[in-house]
Amino acid sequence: MTRRARIPNLGGATAYVLHRPHPATAPLMRQLTAIGLVAVEVWPELPAEALGADFCFFDADLGFDDQFPWKPGEAPMPLIAMIGSEAPGRIEWALAAGADSHLVKPVGNSGIYAALLIARRGFEARRALAAEVETLRSRVSERQTIVKAVVALSAGGVGEERAYGQLRALAMTWQVTIEEAARRIVELERGERREQPVAK
Amino acid sequence: MKRRVELGLLFSCSGNYQLLSAASKAGAEAGIAAVNADDRRTVAFQPVARDPEGKTDRYAPLCAEIFRDSSARHVVGCTTSLSRKEVIPVLEKFGGMLWYPCPYEGFEANEQVVYMHACPNQHLVPLLAHVIPRFGRNGFLLGSNYIWGWETNRVARDVIGDAGGEVLGERYLPLGDTDVSRLIAEIRASRPNFILNNLIGPSSYAFFEAYGRLGEEDGHFTPERCPILSCNLTEIELPAIGPAAEGHLSVGPWFAPEPGAASKERAIGPGRGSAPENAASSFYVAAHSAVIVLADLLDAAGAAAEAPRPAFSGRHFATPYGRIAIDPANQHASLPVKIARARGGRFEVVEESPAVVSPDPYLSRYDPARVFGRPSLRAVS
Repeated sequence: MTRRARIPNLGGATAYVLHRPHPATAPLMRQLTAIGLVAVEVWPELPAEALGADFCFFDADLGFDDQFPWKPGEAPMPLIAMIGSEAPGRIEWALAAGADSHLVKPVGNSGIYAALLIARRGFEARRALAAEVETLRSRVSERQTIVKAVVALSAGGVGEERAYGQLRALAMTWQVTIEEAARRIVELERGERREQPVAK
Repeated sequence: MKRRVELGLLFSCSGNYQLLSAASKAGAEAGIAAVNADDRRTVAFQPVARDPEGKTDRYAPLCAEIFRDSSARHVVGCTTSLSRKEVIPVLEKFGGMLWYPCPYEGFEANEQVVYMHACPNQHLVPLLAHVIPRFGRNGFLLGSNYIWGWETNRVARDVIGDAGGEVLGERYLPLGDTDVSRLIAEIRASRPNFILNNLIGPSSYAFFEAYGRLGEEDGHFTPERCPILSCNLTEIELPAIGPAAEGHLSVGPWFAPEPGAASKERAIGPGRGSAPENAASSFYVAAHSAVIVLADLLDAAGAAAEAPRPAFSGRHFATPYGRIAIDPANQHASLPVKIARARGGRFEVVEESPAVVSPDPYLSRYDPARVFGRPSLRAVS
């Protein structure tokens, strides 16, 4: 199902701003409030409640890994880096932390809404990709199972190609993935299952 | 002895949208006259006017010129969103404040700008909420090819979808294009329940006229069955459209009351009579109100503060709009919302909000259930 473009409803969303108290964060806090978010300023560490936040802004200049209650790159919400020093080391660190978008300090009136939407889109895309990679990875790891199943099915003198066709037909009949079907066949071969494969 | 305060005016006296900018300028000037004539006030405004002649690129340099050559720190000005975006860096550089008197597409809340006219939760959303239950859910969206049309129609798509309706078409014309025959053909073929018109200037006038002719051929396309809706159409553009505007709908924070009506609303500003006929519109009233609100703030701040950060919190202002407030969080005005039908060269209000409506420039509080008075049900596939 594809989501149609919607009014990006940020009303009531929570944003944690991980930055030492500084006059330069005032425009950010003001702007977040104007957009309709609840903004919370914290330093130097994110409290446990921050795990439930919708966005997290962090200081790329003075930030360090231990500030976050998650592993680098595994934030459960979109991250926005606030970059002052453009030293390559700091930018690298911000990227490693998993910044989905950034603001350049001093933060002014503009750019914040865009940073929120870009970060959210990037985060969602990243999460969807990670899930897809996970699925693909598990399928790749089943390659051996498929080979075993094809070998088992071709045992009766059937050619390799026909055996693979049978495997696909079985997967469709059982309404499972080809990897799952292969696993069942291998288990049957080992006599671990009672069902008989029904191949056309 | 009144304190003299210079006040910038940045409106185009020529160019494409001259009718609108002239109305805003007249409103600001009337506001200045009202403040200066009011003996209870401690300030008198000295206008410092610059004319960008409808050229977007002239706004920023002329705004900078106002700040450099005068002591003005407040400017009433700009008509298009493009020009407003142009002057914002100048405002930030000089610490100046722009009082913007036009409806716009929302999604902005700059600290250097006070937004004195409607944003989408005060124009588009209530207009669709009025129209959809009465005329039907399916709309056709039109716009001039720039940000106002794109963004307003984008929000409209969502609102129409939330009402269970369908967008039967969405078409854009280049600014100034008056060839609307294709739009008319598509509208005729798709038979929507209403048309949302975000065309501006000559394109819009040409569309109204062609739609009027379509209505003569096909009875579905009349204001009673399939009205044209506009979010920025005011009295000052009705003469350019002529009889073709008759019966169609607009939304705004102010419409000129009936001529001769001795209502309080008719008087614009304390003891200043009514607006000139060719300027009486929400563009005029917004700019007029901006000057009044600024004067109130300067009166309250006293001589100590020449360029105060506006203290909007907890305050109300008596303006030609009526009693309004400015939301300190986003610096947009709380405004009345009126839906009106064009009738005999003016607008008659057909529905109005019981009280002023708080601004929600990012539609953060938009709730379909509240807009349409029932939970929005959507098919799950």
